[in-house]
Amino acid sequence: MKSLRIQISILVGFCLLTLFFNCCTGNKGAKGGSKEDKTGSFYIGWASVDITPDKPVLVAGQFPARVSEGVLDPITATALAIESGAEPSSEKVIMISCDLVSISDGTRNEYDENLRDNVRNLLKESLPELKPEQVILNATHTHTAPYCSSEKDSKNIYGVELDAMSPYDCQKYISERIAKAAEQAWKSRKPGGISFGLGQAVVGHNRLAVDLSGKSVMYGKTNTPEFGNLEGCEDHSVNLLYTWDKNKKLTGVVINLAASSQVTEGLYQISADYWHETRLEIRNRLGKDIYILPQCSAAGDQSPHIMIGEKGEERMQRLMFPDSIKTGDRTIGLRKQIAIRIADAVTSVFPYMKNNIEWNPYFVHRMEKIELSRRLVGVEDVNNALKEGEEFKKQYEKQLQEIKDNPAIKDKPRWYTNITSTYTKMRRGYSVKDRYELEKKQPKMPIEVHVLRIGDIVIATNPFELYLDYGMRIKGRSPAVQTFLVQLTGSGSYLPPSRSITGGSYGSVPASTLMGPEGGQELVEKTLEMINTVWQKNENLKGATDK
Amino acid sequence: MKTENRKNPLRKIVSTVIFAALFNTTNLFADELLIGVATADITPKLPVALDGQFHLRIARTIETPLTANVVALESRDGNRFLDLAIMVSCDLVGIPREVLKSVRDEVKKQLPEIDVNKIFLNAIHTHTAPVMENGINSSFRYEIPKDSVLQPEEYDEFFVQRVSESIVKAWKNRSPGSVSWGMSHAALAYQRRTVYADGSAVMYGKTNTPEFRNMEGIEDHDVNVLFFWNRNGKLIAMSIDAPCTAQEVENRYAVNADYYHPVREKLKQRFGSDLVVLGWIGAAGDQSPRPLYRQAAEARMIKLRNLTRLDEITRRLVTAVEEVYETVEQDRYSDVKLVHKAEMLTLPKRIITEKEYEISKDEQEKAAGLIAADPKAAAQQLARMTWNRDVVRRYESQKTNKNATIDSEVHVLRIGDVVVCTNEFELFTDYGLRIEAQSNALQTFVIQLTGSGSYLPTEKAVKGGGYSAVAQSSIVGPDGGQILVDRTVKLINEMFPETK
Repeated sequence: MKSLRIQISILVGFCLLTLFFNCCTGNKGAKGGSKEDKTGSFYIGWASVDITPDKPVLVAGQFPARVSEGVLDPITATALAIESGAEPSSEKVIMISCDLVSISDGTRNEYDENLRDNVRNLLKESLPELKPEQVILNATHTHTAPYCSSEKDSKNIYGVELDAMSPYDCQKYISERIAKAAEQAWKSRKPGGISFGLGQAVVGHNRLAVDLSGKSVMYGKTNTPEFGNLEGCEDHSVNLLYTWDKNKKLTGVVINLAASSQVTEGLYQISADYWHETRLEIRNRLGKDIYILPQCSAAGDQSPHIMIGEKGEERMQRLMFPDSIKTGDRTIGLRKQIAIRIADAVTSVFPYMKNNIEWNPYFVHRMEKIELSRRLVGVEDVNNALKEGEEFKKQYEKQLQEIKDNPAIKDKPRWYTNITSTYTKMRRGYSVKDRYELEKKQPKMPIEVHVLRIGDIVIATNPFELYLDYGMRIKGRSPAVQTFLVQLTGSGSYLPPSRSITGGSYGSVPASTLMGPEGGQELVEKTLEMINTVWQKNENLKGATDK
Repeated sequence: MKTENRKNPLRKIVSTVIFAALFNTTNLFADELLIGVATADITPKLPVALDGQFHLRIARTIETPLTANVVALESRDGNRFLDLAIMVSCDLVGIPREVLKSVRDEVKKQLPEIDVNKIFLNAIHTHTAPVMENGINSSFRYEIPKDSVLQPEEYDEFFVQRVSESIVKAWKNRSPGSVSWGMSHAALAYQRRTVYADGSAVMYGKTNTPEFRNMEGIEDHDVNVLFFWNRNGKLIAMSIDAPCTAQEVENRYAVNADYYHPVREKLKQRFGSDLVVLGWIGAAGDQSPRPLYRQAAEARMIKLRNLTRLDEITRRLVTAVEEVYETVEQDRYSDVKLVHKAEMLTLPKRIITEKEYEISKDEQEKAAGLIAADPKAAAQQLARMTWNRDVVRRYESQKTNKNATIDSEVHVLRIGDVVVCTNEFELFTDYGLRIEAQSNALQTFVIQLTGSGSYLPTEKAVKGGGYSAVAQSSIVGPDGGQILVDRTVKLINEMFPETK
């Protein structure tokens, strides 16, 4: 009996040792890997899915409604799954970049379904080992992607019925597709390594033109004697994170730059904007199977539109792409030009990355729900906005009556443009009152901030269209060698600094912003606090670089 | 007519037709362009006092040669002279007015037939080049040893001789050629004025402090390029216009042309050892090649590439130039319209406030006191003393003349569809962008520092204060800056009536 106990003890002990060994080596079936790998316990998985709906949808991003009239190029979601350490305490994150305007996250209405939580809820079932907050979504801010929300009826958004997939159905469809990408990425993770570098590409430009009196206008004219300056600075750095499989084969690149993807933002076709051409260009150079995950850094006041010198740029596009039908600002010519610039940055840094792979980088992820001071609107703001709303309401009712009186209006292409624009402006005016009431109850706004440290870099997120100044404040003080800021990991709202509020441009008025300079500085300080926390280097976990 | 397309005749024809049809801005059947080029070695004898910092630096080594690079242009209709331009880029901090005058006088002696007022010189603003202006009343005077060091007057004389000879040579060797233009981008310069929570601004201020709020102005990463070809289709010269002063190695005690030396060497490797490269600096009073944040990432990449910062700047700029070259090399014009206007503007002097006067007087006296106590302190203090003394003098002068003005020379030069416009200042970027934004030209090459240089700050910079925006740094203020912009734009657009 005693010997049986001993035998059982030995057997149990052996099993436990085996289990422990497997945990330590990460040899757990789907994850793959073995002790022979020079990789430690760092796993990387990639996936990309097409999220383009197959029916007409409402296109998000402009005041007037747009019902999509086909697909110029597919919109995608690209997921990068990272796991480091041994189960069950391994550090896990899935970052998903989506060709969307924004990622609805309940900030604007906490009771409604939203894209972020839909994806997380779907993954609760398929990937129970992941916590919801380990899934981070960001938008490239293409203005030619579907409108996703909990709204089932377009009339509630635009004031008229439109023949398109409802935003609710769209959100459901896209949530499922994004969750699929996340699941695929997670399940495909394999031992791998990362390397990082800094390149340069002139893509984003400051889009706020300030006149000599100090008044600022988004996309204001610069070719007038009254033009004084562009309001802020520009950031042409490109933060790059390359991933490798255990054979030192490049598997993907995270590309982070301060420019939203909105060159051809006025189209009625679905499009990923310049990221489409950029993916093609990079895959053409580095391999067709490469995954590309775009992140938009702090760029609330930046865009790829040419503010000065368009004629010269247009000619260069024409000479570079003689087959392009259209060249200049807001054209495919500019998208192609940007693609080359970004691809040049990626390939310029690439040769130095292969010999600087970290196979076991220190990896840590923190998410905090922080509360930031809202930009409080005053009674005067409310009254002004309501007055504006009332004006637009009158216009809307008049336009609606005209349609009722003459239904043939609806036979014209894009008949809905004017009335939907009016309705959006009306809602925008009335929303200030709702906001005023909300602020009385909830003067602080809760948001999610993620900070990831991977080796010597840091990735820090925010849900806003964050003005560049805030990004510089964070980068200026960050202890990381490179700081990847990722904006629009949520619903978005401009977050302007004081100088922009003084200028009074579109992105800085109360109706465009939930947060002002006070909340902005709080975001800076809190993000830095989180970065500093993850920067407390644990030397035992310090990564090894393969030289 | 356009020159022959050597590589792809069909593409050339198509692009020409499209270009002419869409823009119709080039006068295809008017003028013939003659181009002459030359280079002068303007490296000083050692030891020599270097310009550009408050403290005296005596260079005892030459790390790179300094050069002056000349392109002479003449347009003709048959045998009829139409216009000319002689452009000289110099590896210097600035171009003293007296030196420019001497160059013109010297050239006039040898080429009496040309209008020497159509010669302009620009400085790349390397801070490792000789002091050229050090008179007793200089507003930035150094205590240069009299015996053992090359004197500024000696260098000026040498410079005038070398440059005037090269101008004459370039003019005499001019022959029919063609020109191309294009643009690209390079992240060379960074905004160098940091603004803090209290609204104050500091040049090269810290960004890693909680009080940091923003960079004051924009960063302009445009690179405009002109290529000049001889009648055989050989590239003989290029001018590169980027708003980034050549001051990466500005603190050295050695003669150095900064990044323009390796840039020239790289371009010569590819395009031929006799290539002449003109370095033009766009409006960059508030920009420099020194990054004020993400330095660790920049330094790491430079290390990975096994380069120096100077090499990295060179890599970025040469890449941009080569991109332009690849795109426009077939798009050459030999019949471009060449129109050149040189004008002396009258700009209001910046008004000195009483507070500025008090501060300057105090600083002047402090520096003077230090020198009086220890004459050796002059090496550190004389420039600072004279810099402040100048404000005191201006204040006293304005008591009797509140509307004092200063003459400032500008050149506006149309070459085909593009325009070149000069100013004498370290012009803040905003002014350059105002000119470019309103210009009717296809591309606008703004060239700063065709004079001895003085910062020309914007209104917001003056409010923020700090070196480069304070009264000591600038003889002309924002009102004068706007006059400069308005007049330059007017001159440009008069030259482009067809693209209004």
